[in-house]
Amino acid sequence: MSTDGHAARGGTVFDIGYQGYNGERRGRHYARDAVYQNGIRSALGLGRSTRAKALPWFFIIALSAIGLIMALIAGGVNRYIGAGTAQALNLPSHSDLYGIASIIMFAFGAVVAPELLCPDRRDGTINLYLVRPITGGDYILARWASFLTVMLVAAWMPQVILFLGLCLSDADPMKYVQTNWRDIPRFLLAGLVISAYVTTLAMLVASFTTRRAYAAVFLIGLFVISTPFTVGLASEMKNVTGQWISMFSLSNIPVHVNDLIFDDVSKITEDSPARRLAPWIRVAWCAGWTAVPGAILWQRYRRMTP
Amino acid sequence: MSATPLLSAQRLSKHYGRVVALDDVSFDIHDGVTGILGENGAGKSTAIKIFLGLLKQTSGTATVLGHDASVSDGVRSRLGYMPEHDCLPGAMNAAEFLTHMAEVSGLPKDVARTRAADTLRHTGLFEERYRAIGGYSTGMKQRVKLAQAIVHDPAFVFLDEPTAGLDPMGREEMLDLIRKTHREFGISVLLSSHLMSDVERTCDRIIVMRGGQLVHAGEVGQFTTEMETVFIEVDTNQRELVAALGRRGIAAVAEGSGFTIEGPDESVYDQVRDAVVEAEAPLRRLAPHRHALAELFARDGESKGGKS
Repeated sequence: MSTDGHAARGGTVFDIGYQGYNGERRGRHYARDAVYQNGIRSALGLGRSTRAKALPWFFIIALSAIGLIMALIAGGVNRYIGAGTAQALNLPSHSDLYGIASIIMFAFGAVVAPELLCPDRRDGTINLYLVRPITGGDYILARWASFLTVMLVAAWMPQVILFLGLCLSDADPMKYVQTNWRDIPRFLLAGLVISAYVTTLAMLVASFTTRRAYAAVFLIGLFVISTPFTVGLASEMKNVTGQWISMFSLSNIPVHVNDLIFDDVSKITEDSPARRLAPWIRVAWCAGWTAVPGAILWQRYRRMTP
Repeated sequence: MSATPLLSAQRLSKHYGRVVALDDVSFDIHDGVTGILGENGAGKSTAIKIFLGLLKQTSGTATVLGHDASVSDGVRSRLGYMPEHDCLPGAMNAAEFLTHMAEVSGLPKDVARTRAADTLRHTGLFEERYRAIGGYSTGMKQRVKLAQAIVHDPAFVFLDEPTAGLDPMGREEMLDLIRKTHREFGISVLLSSHLMSDVERTCDRIIVMRGGQLVHAGEVGQFTTEMETVFIEVDTNQRELVAALGRRGIAAVAEGSGFTIEGPDESVYDQVRDAVVEAEAPLRRLAPHRHALAELFARDGESKGGKS
């Protein structure tokens, strides 16, 4: 091999140095979208350690498992005992799922939602967002939307599994869909109501602390304690006061709306005095418990500066 | 130096109730590396936050890249900011974090990814880019902070105490990077510091603030010359030496075991030599000396009544 031939095949590495950027710079909407996508990744632990993935996926799998178990029981009963037996036996179905799963959904919100806000404030990363082309309001809106998306997936997943299970276990799946298609918009709407409620409350609490554990413990305590406390008080007063006291059972608030959407009564609200209040009051109450914390949350971040 | 300033403050004031953070301050910042020097509470961070549009001034105007700073949401995509305090997410790796920051600054996803890798290479973190930031040393974290401030190729970058917490070697490397940021990357810099040596070694121009007021604005060379003194210590005949210097129009100020004279240029040494001979004073020590920053502020405060 000649020296010339060897040189001809040789390569040279050039350091082209720093390259400026003169291309497109997208605006505030794009920046907000980037924060939204990052929020979804953070909530699900994507691109993070296995430990960071463990909690969110545990809850998502647990919620899905509830849907799967309900589908297996109801589907099995329908298939092996007779079509419509599950309904006749009043086995839990779509209208009951959110009532049954509500405590897991609240725990999911309490444990995972603070992950989207607390580390940014504890590490000071929020300062880097606020000096970019977004406002504090954009940031919190994007983070709220991120967790709402994750929460919606977690809420709808068991309902979809249940619907598919019931559909596939029916002797005539197409007929099942034609008969029960209304369950789909109902569980989508009920899932949206409960997800928005849990997301907003969890994020508001998380906005007051830089420690995720504090927010999680406070929220779980709030959801768990409010129910026996209000039930105990309400049982002492049988009148309207008792009905209103039972409205402060935080875990039942969105389930009352779920009952109205499905025009049915869930297992966990059937004994609640609040069920006797007018439907519009129960809807307005849930809307208020979502809108007011949302407004406080937005106000807290709107004028935030590093 | 370009004719239109990149940043301009005109009669800028910021009050927090009865506390005056900035008091009728005016200055222009052009292309290059400018140092803003002052002790804690001097108003440096307040000025930076006003330029970033994060605080609204009480009165006066602040313009950044030709736009009113108070409505600068869009302009912020052309600005970078490196805060003094911790701001890095420990759980993320540097590559992912920089890509995200570039996207939030408006760069398309594929460009953001490329620029994140390039910026980490230029700041010496390329090999470590997939490690979680939480495991980085202080020096590496400072580099990531600088990298996130320039990842979107801003026209202007604000660096707030970039050498804070660094050891001497880390500090030297950071100052090199800052010089490189302007000379090689073409990004103008406003370096906020309370360390004169950092500013002197890095900046072309300097703004000195004290108690929310502007004390000095100009070239670094001129400022450092003004700061220089000569320290003289003799075994005996100090009084005669001071008198001999006085006859030459040189004022002496007692300091410790000796005294200092103002020494803005080399000719003062010839005059000291002649005075030492005349006073027959055995010279023990003759050394160039700098005013401490606090001393300088006190001096400027007295001579200018605290105002520029």
